[in-house]
Amino acid sequence: MTAQRRMTRWEIIIQIAIFCTGFFYALTYYVKVSEPIDLQTLSDNSLAYLTAMILTAFGIGMINLTRVHWRTIKLRRPDWKFSVVLIGSMYGMALFSTISSPFAIDPLGTVVPLQLIDAILPIWQFLYYNVLISINTTIFSLLAFFIASAAYRAFKVRTLESTILLAAGLLVIIGEAPISNLIWSGFSTIQNWIMLVPNTAGQRGILIGAALSIVAFSVRRMIKYS
Amino acid sequence: MIELIPGRIGQGALLILLIFAVFVASRTALRRKSKMRPLPGLDKLKEWIMEAKKLDRCVFFSPGTGGVGSTDTLAALALLRYVARLCITNDVRLIVANEDQNVLQITEETVKDEYAKAGKSEKYTVDSVRFISSSIYAYAAGVMGLLERERPAVNIFVGTFSAESLEIAEAGRSEALYQFAGTSSIDQLPFFLATCDLTLLAGELYSAQSYLTGNLKEIAWTIGQDAGKTIAILLILIGTILVTFGNQIIVDFLKL
Repeated sequence: MTAQRRMTRWEIIIQIAIFCTGFFYALTYYVKVSEPIDLQTLSDNSLAYLTAMILTAFGIGMINLTRVHWRTIKLRRPDWKFSVVLIGSMYGMALFSTISSPFAIDPLGTVVPLQLIDAILPIWQFLYYNVLISINTTIFSLLAFFIASAAYRAFKVRTLESTILLAAGLLVIIGEAPISNLIWSGFSTIQNWIMLVPNTAGQRGILIGAALSIVAFSVRRMIKYS
Repeated sequence: MIELIPGRIGQGALLILLIFAVFVASRTALRRKSKMRPLPGLDKLKEWIMEAKKLDRCVFFSPGTGGVGSTDTLAALALLRYVARLCITNDVRLIVANEDQNVLQITEETVKDEYAKAGKSEKYTVDSVRFISSSIYAYAAGVMGLLERERPAVNIFVGTFSAESLEIAEAGRSEALYQFAGTSSIDQLPFFLATCDLTLLAGELYSAQSYLTGNLKEIAWTIGQDAGKTIAILLILIGTILVTFGNQIIVDFLKL
């Protein structure tokens, strides 16, 4: 058993702030206060500030990436060349996006020369649409292969549960296939039943359990009961 | 001018009732010094980390792709402290890969803090806790590469996950001895169940901290949580029966 230690003064102050913030947001969800201060507007505005703060912290991520990969390059670790590519791509893309992109800091060319903006735009467009989006799509499409190997492992007949899973999986696959209706119309009925009844019931059970645990967990965080 | 928002009054009353039930049940559990049912997955975690030490291989931890506002991430951070403590005590290298820059700051502090508590601050390196990317596919690619290069013996994926869950878990499967996962993302649970040795399902994830610390107050609170769930299940059952016989009282109350 771990012994309970007393909270420091700072921890108490932070805990009070956590409780007040949590209580404030819970209150504004259930109660409308328009005078003397409109609490709903205050809540919306503070959320906007929070979003700004979260975005500002993005720089910390960049610093961490630079430190980790700079160290890899400096120590000439295996695959250090990938770190060079990463740092180059990250700062290069950040620079191009700042000069010429929908997120550019000076799109009208007040400070940055318009010729430079025009010259960089096709490079940015190429890097974003032809490289970044293609890579993202490639990584996403890898899922198909991973699903196949995971399904193979899950569907291996080892226990009674995996046998039931295999049978249910096969019925759903057959029911979903366009040819299933030509073989037997009952396949799509069975597939619908599996998806709507046992599947939905299981999912809702997990969801209700998780939702209630989230409420209890959040209250515990707010009041630091432990 | 203070007024209750129509449509949320019933929900609010139900929430207060549930919180009250959780309080009462946890107080009772604390008085009776009740115990939690065993969570075998969490017991195994220690054994696996010891095995990683024997093999001189590292442990990988992913707190998911959710932000600090996600309860799954908060549960993951609680688990990270436990994992970091075990790894540091047993001199096992720990690698944490983050997708969110705010979570990064917390994970960095958590791991640093555990190194400092163990008196091994000098062993903490900048690449122990890393930021990969805020884009989920870039994160997936980064983690997949990391798992192949570092070859961790134990992979721990706990938190909020989306499409990248299967990619990183499958990539980890080929190298790691053991994989441990925990999430309440319904769509990702089947993937973790198929690729990981042990998976914490939704509610279990939030109980993990109490179970691991063994603190009586924490355990009592988790038991209180279950009392809240029991009330909710009873309400669902009563509501279902009433609606079947044409009585809308609970439905009308929730619409208040």
